[in-house]
Amino acid sequence: MSLSPRERLTLDIQRAVSRCLFVFFGPMMVILFHFRFKYKFQDIDKIREEYKRHLNSCQGPLIICSNHLTLIDSIIQSLGLNSILGHLRRYSGLPWNLPEKNNFYHNTKWKIICYLGKCIPVVRMASASDGKKSMNKMLYVLNKGDVLSIFPEGKRSRSGKIDDVDFSYGAGQLIKDIPHANVLCIYLRGKKQGGFANFPSRGEEFYFKMDLINPYSQESGLRKARDLSRQIIEKLKIMEQEYFNDIAICR
Amino acid sequence: MNETQIYDKVVSLISPYAKNREAMTVASRETKILEDLGVNSARLVDIVLAFEDAFDIEVEDEAADNIFTIGDAVTLINGKLN
Repeated sequence: MSLSPRERLTLDIQRAVSRCLFVFFGPMMVILFHFRFKYKFQDIDKIREEYKRHLNSCQGPLIICSNHLTLIDSIIQSLGLNSILGHLRRYSGLPWNLPEKNNFYHNTKWKIICYLGKCIPVVRMASASDGKKSMNKMLYVLNKGDVLSIFPEGKRSRSGKIDDVDFSYGAGQLIKDIPHANVLCIYLRGKKQGGFANFPSRGEEFYFKMDLINPYSQESGLRKARDLSRQIIEKLKIMEQEYFNDIAICR
Repeated sequence: MNETQIYDKVVSLISPYAKNREAMTVASRETKILEDLGVNSARLVDIVLAFEDAFDIEVEDEAADNIFTIGDAVTLINGKLN
């Protein structure tokens, strides 16, 4: 089951509209981010340089797999990975995101933000056919050369740490259908982040670390999806451990 | 292996993943694995893989997508074994 011409056109139009309006929408997000909420990044130049290097060097689709702590992780990630000018110059590098429909599509403001922010809504516990349709949309944008960001845990962490037991296999399902997929694991965390939270604290400084991996599995079908997802979660878990080790050293 | 034996084994394989323990105690062939037992979709994958290991069968992705109830699982496995 592939996407209909109408569904492909809808995504193409969304991308084009989003790109045109990003000139206004992007700076607005930056203003809110830096001035309203006083958020900042640690080593921002290093993060952006590294992301640019990965974008230039990757052959084939690039999928970002990140830990998930707050409702606005995707926005934080997008603003951290490149400047507004940088995103405008290379719009394929602004990742598509996969917000949960029930969380973000209940009011017009968030619908607009999601539309302009290159989002494909997904439904948790969706039927197999709806799940496949979302998956096909993801494959479509990836095959067109855009970056896509997914939270491999499948939900926000309830403990503030990566859940390496009860995680989703959605990332593995996606990657198993893309030969030679590059997976950029990102560990993103506000330094004041404790456990479960909707939003980061005001004035938060974000730690950002990335590492490129090429997950591989000799299994097939569902086992392959599980195996690939596990490799990504294990990598993120290591990155999380490195974060806490760094913090411990700093203290 | 007859259908009753398959049913018993299916229930025992699903049981560790069921968040709704009460629904598990009154489970029947009509019990919906996701909705009634509180199993999430990732754990349903684990359950299908557990079926493959326990019954020594292979469940195709499309067939796995059509498992909604305990009865669906039993029918699928019975069809592959007998």
